[in-house]
Amino acid sequence: MILQSLWHSIEFSGIGQSIASSEVAFPLIETFHVFAIVTVVGTIAIMDLRLLGLTSKKWTASSVSKDTLWLTWAAFVVAVITGLLMFVSKASTYMVNPYFLVKMAMIAAAGVNMAMLHRGPWKAIGSWDSAAAVPANVRLSATLSLIFWIVVIFCGRFIGFTLGVYQAPM
Amino acid sequence: MSFFDTLFHMTEWLRTTWVVDFSLWVSNTAACQWLQEHFVAIPGFQSIHILAIGVLFGSALMVNLRILGVAGGGHSVPETVQRYMPWLWGGLAALIVTGIILLVSEPVRNMVNPFFWIKMTALLVTVLVTAWFHLSVRARMDSWDRSSNGQGAIRAGAVALIILWCIVMAGGRWIAYAPV
Repeated sequence: MILQSLWHSIEFSGIGQSIASSEVAFPLIETFHVFAIVTVVGTIAIMDLRLLGLTSKKWTASSVSKDTLWLTWAAFVVAVITGLLMFVSKASTYMVNPYFLVKMAMIAAAGVNMAMLHRGPWKAIGSWDSAAAVPANVRLSATLSLIFWIVVIFCGRFIGFTLGVYQAPM
Repeated sequence: MSFFDTLFHMTEWLRTTWVVDFSLWVSNTAACQWLQEHFVAIPGFQSIHILAIGVLFGSALMVNLRILGVAGGGHSVPETVQRYMPWLWGGLAALIVTGIILLVSEPVRNMVNPFFWIKMTALLVTVLVTAWFHLSVRARMDSWDRSSNGQGAIRAGAVALIILWCIVMAGGRWIAYAPV
């Protein structure tokens, strides 16, 4: 298949091979991936729990967003860069790993969910900004966000345990 | 002597201590056997462990970045400390519980491992600094007006704590990569 040869050539590219053949490169990249993903999920949880009215109830939703959102994005950029570096070192193994594929789908779903919130109910934030109980569709969005990101963490961890289980066809 | 040689010698030394007998004893407990027999148990508890770090580190960042005046300017330092410190301690409690479960699940791999002991030392230091920090921030709460970003030792402490938590996390990640 054409895609398989694509993953294969990514894996055997110069950068892919230098990461795969170094003893410290992969764990080092992984370490920064952990710093980043922990910050992404931690700050998103702060926002979602506010939207669910569980924490920061005295603070407006927009002020919590201002506190956390830039940090979420900065950490997300680091997570994507480090994630790509890990991906290129084992591209064909990741592409046949169901946990990896579910993880990517969950990140995409989280992105769509966030975009829908910001294009929809967030536009009318003035009417619910300081309310402890935000509109139901916002609470739904926050619940989905928490679920998606928790699944991302679980999948990420399971990838490491199943790399040998799902082998790419040569 | 390189860093990895030093780690290798630490592992060799650990093999001569009581840690070996103790970790082998834990390996024979029913709890360890159960965790080993269920494929989802170890990655599952590791995932919960990471989620707990998310809660802890997210809270630590919000407090420390607020003290440094980098983030959270819409709320005062006392408000920020009150909002996040209980979550930091709660996250730590969840980390300790899941950490003990993970320790029991792979006792030899964890305990006969220099990174584990480096991580535990870093964790102990970080928790003590956090406790000192929490108390000294609280002691100054009354004199802190809304716009103040904290001063002197407190600011240095905020930077140190972010770095210390990163060292603890790095120690955790590298347990899997100890030279043996």
